[in-house]
Amino acid sequence: MSDTNHDHHDHDLEAKKALRPKIERDTNYWLSLEHYEQDPEFMKLAEQEFMSSPLREGDAEDGVARRDFLKLMGASLAMASAGCIRRPVQKIVPYNKQPEEVVLGVPNYYSSVHFDGSEAMALLVKTREGRPIKIEGHGDHSLNCGVSIKGQSSILNLYDPERLRGPRKNLFNEKRTNKDTIGTSWDAMDGEVSKQLQKGQAVVLTGAVTGPANQAVIRDFCQAFNARHVVFEPLSHEEIRQGQKASYGDDSIPFYRFDKAKMIVSVDADFLGAWLMPMTFSKQFSEGRKEPETMSRLVVFDSNYSLTGANADIRVRIKPSQQLDVVLGLLHEIVVKKGRSSYAGNGSVKSVIESGAGAAARLGIEPALLTQIAEDLWDKRGQSLVVAGGLPTLTSKATELQIAVNLLNSVLENDGKTVEGRGGNPGLKGSWADLLTLIKDMKEGKVKTLIMHNVNPGYVLSSEHGFSEAVRKVEMVVSTADRVDETAGEAHYIIPDNHALESWGDAEPVAGVVMIQQPTIRPMYETRAFQTALMNWARLAEVGPARLRNSETFYDYVRTVWREEVAPKYGRGMGFEAFWSEALQKGFVGTPNSAGARSFRADSFSSIKPGKASDFTELVLYPTVTMGDGSATNASWLHEIPDPVTKITWDNYASVSIGFAKKHNLKANDVIEITVGDKKIDLPVNVQPGLHDEVLTVAIGYGRTHAGKIANGVGRNLYPFLSFVNGQAIAAGAKVEIKKTGRKESLANPQGHHSMEGRQIVVEATLKEYQKKKDANIHRHHAWSLWSGHQYNGHKWGMAIDLNSCTGCNACVVSCQSENNIPVVGKKYVLQGREMHWLRIDRYYVGTPENAETVFQPMLCQHCDNAPCETVCPVLATVHTDDGLNAMVYNRCVGTRYCSNNCPYKVRRFNWFNYTKDIEKPLNMALNPEVTVRTRGVMEKCTFCVQRIKAGVNQAKQENRPLKDGEIKTACQTACPSGGIVFGDMNDPNSEVSKMFKKERAYLLLEEWNAAPAVRYLTKIRNNGKDARHEKAHGEGEHA
Amino acid sequence: MILQRNKLILGEKNLKDITDDICEPVETLPGKGWVLMFIGALSLLLFYLVILGTVIAKGMGLLGVNHPNAWGTMIITFVFWIGIGHAGTLISAVLFLFRQKWRTSVARTAEAMTVFAVMTAGLFPLLHTGRPWLDLWLFPYPNQRGPLWVNFRSPLLWDVFAVSTYATVSISFWYIGMVPDFATIKDRAKNKVRRMIYGALSLGWRGTGRNWAHYEMLYLILAGLSTPLVLSVHTIVSFDFAVATLPGWHTTIFPPYFVAGAIFSGFAMVVTLMTLVRIGFPAFKDYITIDHMEVMNKIIMTTGMLVGYAYASEFFIAGYSGNIYERFVFINRAFGPYGWSYWIMVSCNTIFPQIFWFRRFRRSIPVMFVVSIFVNIGMWFERYVITITSLHRDFIPASWGNYAWSFFDAAVLFGSFGMFLTLFLLYLRAFPAISIAEVKPVLPVGREKGQGGHH
Repeated sequence: MSDTNHDHHDHDLEAKKALRPKIERDTNYWLSLEHYEQDPEFMKLAEQEFMSSPLREGDAEDGVARRDFLKLMGASLAMASAGCIRRPVQKIVPYNKQPEEVVLGVPNYYSSVHFDGSEAMALLVKTREGRPIKIEGHGDHSLNCGVSIKGQSSILNLYDPERLRGPRKNLFNEKRTNKDTIGTSWDAMDGEVSKQLQKGQAVVLTGAVTGPANQAVIRDFCQAFNARHVVFEPLSHEEIRQGQKASYGDDSIPFYRFDKAKMIVSVDADFLGAWLMPMTFSKQFSEGRKEPETMSRLVVFDSNYSLTGANADIRVRIKPSQQLDVVLGLLHEIVVKKGRSSYAGNGSVKSVIESGAGAAARLGIEPALLTQIAEDLWDKRGQSLVVAGGLPTLTSKATELQIAVNLLNSVLENDGKTVEGRGGNPGLKGSWADLLTLIKDMKEGKVKTLIMHNVNPGYVLSSEHGFSEAVRKVEMVVSTADRVDETAGEAHYIIPDNHALESWGDAEPVAGVVMIQQPTIRPMYETRAFQTALMNWARLAEVGPARLRNSETFYDYVRTVWREEVAPKYGRGMGFEAFWSEALQKGFVGTPNSAGARSFRADSFSSIKPGKASDFTELVLYPTVTMGDGSATNASWLHEIPDPVTKITWDNYASVSIGFAKKHNLKANDVIEITVGDKKIDLPVNVQPGLHDEVLTVAIGYGRTHAGKIANGVGRNLYPFLSFVNGQAIAAGAKVEIKKTGRKESLANPQGHHSMEGRQIVVEATLKEYQKKKDANIHRHHAWSLWSGHQYNGHKWGMAIDLNSCTGCNACVVSCQSENNIPVVGKKYVLQGREMHWLRIDRYYVGTPENAETVFQPMLCQHCDNAPCETVCPVLATVHTDDGLNAMVYNRCVGTRYCSNNCPYKVRRFNWFNYTKDIEKPLNMALNPEVTVRTRGVMEKCTFCVQRIKAGVNQAKQENRPLKDGEIKTACQTACPSGGIVFGDMNDPNSEVSKMFKKERAYLLLEEWNAAPAVRYLTKIRNNGKDARHEKAHGEGEHA
Repeated sequence: MILQRNKLILGEKNLKDITDDICEPVETLPGKGWVLMFIGALSLLLFYLVILGTVIAKGMGLLGVNHPNAWGTMIITFVFWIGIGHAGTLISAVLFLFRQKWRTSVARTAEAMTVFAVMTAGLFPLLHTGRPWLDLWLFPYPNQRGPLWVNFRSPLLWDVFAVSTYATVSISFWYIGMVPDFATIKDRAKNKVRRMIYGALSLGWRGTGRNWAHYEMLYLILAGLSTPLVLSVHTIVSFDFAVATLPGWHTTIFPPYFVAGAIFSGFAMVVTLMTLVRIGFPAFKDYITIDHMEVMNKIIMTTGMLVGYAYASEFFIAGYSGNIYERFVFINRAFGPYGWSYWIMVSCNTIFPQIFWFRRFRRSIPVMFVVSIFVNIGMWFERYVITITSLHRDFIPASWGNYAWSFFDAAVLFGSFGMFLTLFLLYLRAFPAISIAEVKPVLPVGREKGQGGHH
């Protein structure tokens, strides 16, 4: 209706009103004086029907208030729903699947980064309705295709109920011995800190910082306030840098190329497990071994039974003091005995190498074996690789070992080929020495402000270093910890940093590759990026470079740095917005730098003084695949994932060899008192096959006291056993004495038995056997049946698992757990055999118990065609689908558990209690909405990720096209760092899985039982130069 | 020459004496001994109910069942009680058809034992499920889910039918046998309430010739129906195991082996209970004589040897089959971590009953009591051995694991005795524990010395 019409209408109304008969007012009767006096105001009121109108006054004027109201309602509704969808506010670009914004029920995938202080991994984060629910590898084109257990579990850190929800201030008493924090405001904190910073003498203490923008912001900040930046990581890789510096003058980590190496020797470097960048290395390693014909050989000299040792073709157990001897022995074989390489003429070098003579005898191995290893290295020179490093190599000769390894690599012409100097992550600058110096400075009052980010010295340093006394001498301490942990309790202000999944950032996993870290959720709480804090303080103090002060958020800063520094290098002349967009989509830019061979400084080697091997039991500390340095361990998945080798969950323990246990009359689970120097600690014993008789190995990363409900009190903290010589950490080789306490403490080991008992479970063949006969050692059975079997007219899903690729790292297990909402049960129930993992990695020892070798086998529902579980369920709760799945109908299950009894593979899991009820908010946000959360009393098991199958099939159907092979990937498959799991349609003869099935080394587990599984395993090939596997001398493993 | 049989009923009873003797426990107030035992049994029953309630409320995880031992105490004890029941049916039905007159004085109580044992047993498969409130899905009933039927291929379903049939037939048989006796008690009743209750229970029994004719015919038919059940119930229970593919379970010997074991354990339980009844009601000693006990001991010894044969046969076949999994399971049974349970089973079931080769021990109440207890223990362990030692180490060594025995396992096992004993003690006081109607015809009336027996 037009305005004129409207006016007209009003006039009409007035006219009509005027025609109405006037109501005669009787003035004899009056209500009040006003009435009597005919007060106009009163008369106006009296004419109204109601004292207060339902219409607001404004209505009469413009008639919009009601609409305003509706508008506001609509907006707030939209805001409320937008609030539920915690998308970050800046523009982030979904990966290749790009729905219009967020569609309910449709997942979005974003590329991001997880950096654990050592390895920066490219991620693909799956979000549903704006909340991240699953972290996956980025695919084959990045450095890592899988994601580590820690990386995947970081989703639990995001939703950790114990995270701080805003900045807190510590109400210290005079001596600062108390920890009473109260909430405070960001503005108040910013003001105070900024003022304090202007007093100077500020130090920023951080963990390793990677990525151009992340590094730039600290650099700018330090410039602004003339502050010092100290980097500290407990697993610092300092020894590699020092070795590189001494040998080549490069104070940086090289990039190792296991994919290019045909002959790999590792001296205690657990590159597949917990050393440097295991996910990247696993991918490289498996690439070098995918085809048995051309597979590399891995020789490991192992003090601990590491995951890398478990994957070795030849594994030699040593003790830490023999590490240098190993390398000198190899050098001796090559340089002295055979007189190879230019160093054969170098007298001073040779004189040091001489001490490597007779190394084989000292190591207790056949001299021929050492000669053979040296020969192989030389034969493959330029294509071989020798690595050493990690905590077990941190003896007093750690740097010497690195120098010797560097010489060996230079002798073998590997430098510049398989060792790319300066090629590693340039951000790995952590140093124990720097931290200790800082503490000294703090004690001397040289530090006025200390800002701590991603570090926890209160946990890793024992009291003798006096960190807490030192920190109390600092005028103001700020910590960005997300909880009041062992260190943050000493801070004046605890200003919780965003979780990585809530933050912008970047990373440089290796020199030449830069990745962007996109936030995938708006910060859950009143937290703020650490970098934003730095920028705010600079802005308030009006100091520092313009980009630091003028960027509104860290997002702007990252873009500025990328515009200024990254784009010119990697942009290939693209416009910045296009480049930025591409980088967000892809997740990374650039390719690893390649460097030429460097000249080895022979004098660094000549100064080595080889020591003698000790005659006592040596301590070996090591990080585990799950706990790492122990920094983000308040995540239940981490604790329930078994250690890949020992299979023990929820604890650390003292591993000793069988010989050691016999000598000291120890049994598994005996608690012993371990004395190293003047420190004592009680630990339960794990009798570990394949250890040297004079080592005692314990994992670090346990024994947290302020990490949260889950991690607190799990295991013991072994960091106090680190000692320091000239600022160098000594983590291995120290003398250990033990005493029995007479107590027992059960270790929760979900695996019941460790020998295959001569059964055909994991089939192994040596490379020579394989070359002779591709299906070597596979004993096939022909089963006949009266029944014709199921007919599969459409798809028929199957999975091939290459045991030759599988490293046993367990990343698939946690991926399965994350995808399928699998509950965690805790140590008590693991001890009772109630663990819930749908997918488990069975680990068997092979060979003599003293020198046991290891094989791994991922074990999951085999989706049998003749499934024994299906026939025995009385209520038809587990049935066969027409695409070959063995489906489990939770709704129908009454829980007779007959199916589990009848399953030859024992892969079914029962909900003994109502586990879901115990999920504390907001951890429920990590649940995958596509998978039913199971109630108590129902059976569950691997579904082949049926939700993914259905999604893939429906997608293809909607797009009216046939399903592509490889389009559907199971959760375990996406996590596998080595591509050992292949899933697909067996009815498609060209699918990858069909091809794998046709390989000669494919076999069915328990074929003679004729359950006809849809999973096939591929023989593990051991490239150990032997003609045949040693006869089935299965060691009688311990029985749990 | 005609051998004179020992008298089935001692004490030169006349018909009235019999009625008086048997009705006495029903018509008098219980003594101190019974009350004490009843209080004990009832407390155990209440404890049992609390335990079962807790298990239903919290979950099966309270018991020791785990991965890979998905079945445990509840299934073991189920098979144990079902086995116990077999002696009752055998005595009352099979021996009836074979005209074994000695059965008359023990049949009623043996059958009562069957009924209570089946009731005790029947709870377990229902309660051991993860979601007992959905147990109705185990029964085929018309429904609106398709209709969605049960899986007729599953031995557990056969079990549902077998046990429910067995319970129905046993209860009918037991009850029908009591009808004339109820009428007797009704007739003797001195107050109205008693008269009404027993009158109702006796279903209008008048004792007419027609009544008796119908009764005898029905009794014979029910005996005929029960007889195959003696074989079928435990055969089907054994299918729960034998039809599974698990080594140690998947054997063809299981049906006869289970039936023999069931009769064996049932008779042991009858002996246990009868020795107690004889102590509790000394008047019954004339009816349940040493001769009765001796016959049952002979059966115990015979079935014990059958069971022993099965044990040996299993071992032989495991070795002979060449199946490495099967072979391992049996070696592991005897020498693995649960070897102790295997040797308890072997010694209790095959060695101890051998003492009955001696007449003196066969007729000694203390000896037979102890042996019968051992047999009960041994037979419980037999089911334990079968269930646990097969499950705990099967095909894939990595998934091996031991049963996590907990307090609740023990509570469930002992609590089930509370249920059984409470019912049994109530029965002794409420129902005629010996069949009056059946005992009277076996009185030596008309068969006195010199008048000869049957020819």
